[in-house]
Amino acid sequence: MAEQGVEIIALSKDTPQDAALHRERDGLSLQLLADPNLDVIRDYGLEHHKAVEFSTGRFTLLGIPLALVPSLKTMAVPTTLLIDEQGVIRWIDQTDDYRLRSAESRILAEIRRTFG
Amino acid sequence: MTLAAPLAAPLAGSALVLGSWVAYMATVPSGKVPPKPWGHLAAQAIGGLMAVGGLAGALRGGGGLIAPALLSGTAVTMSGLFFFLYSQRSTPVGEIRVTVGDRLRPFTATTPDGRRFDSASLEGRRVLLKFFRGHW
Repeated sequence: MAEQGVEIIALSKDTPQDAALHRERDGLSLQLLADPNLDVIRDYGLEHHKAVEFSTGRFTLLGIPLALVPSLKTMAVPTTLLIDEQGVIRWIDQTDDYRLRSAESRILAEIRRTFG
Repeated sequence: MTLAAPLAAPLAGSALVLGSWVAYMATVPSGKVPPKPWGHLAAQAIGGLMAVGGLAGALRGGGGLIAPALLSGTAVTMSGLFFFLYSQRSTPVGEIRVTVGDRLRPFTATTPDGRRFDSASLEGRRVLLKFFRGHW
């Protein structure tokens, strides 16, 4: 991906604080973007209403989560867009099953196909 | 009846359910989640039924109920959660408002440091833009 000069940007409904924690916890080098009011997600037609989210909620002991509590939230449909230098969308990859994400091999193959 | 007998089915059911959970979750980080997890669904169903059957046996047999109830309760809850989550897997893909060949819809968002991000800054750059569900 570096070869073709493609940068990765990942946007979610997380707040900037969540995103900062996520970046630090998982040692991410990609650019995270926060869209807590779902403005961008909504504008792209990528709203998933009543998706299941897990949070530690108030079940913590000395800051250690004791349980993951499921709740229903609106969030993005996992979607990958490949965009060229002119700002044109060259490839869209969406999943109709949120458990299954864009496979790394498929993304890399598409990047090579698009940008050589 | 030995002391262990009332616990055997709840214990085996819990082990099956939790073992399946652990094995399933282990596939998540590598992106190798099975599209149709039949084996896991079977393990969850059998484990859950063993737990229910075990608890029913413990109720009939008299004696201590706390341990069988705790084990069976855990197994049934976790098994139910697995089925519930699996039932929620589909995402609405039909509502996307961009298509291949379109220009990026201009947007603004916030960076983790709280700075404003404008998609205009992507001009002249090749970008893989991921919409994701959020951290967990």
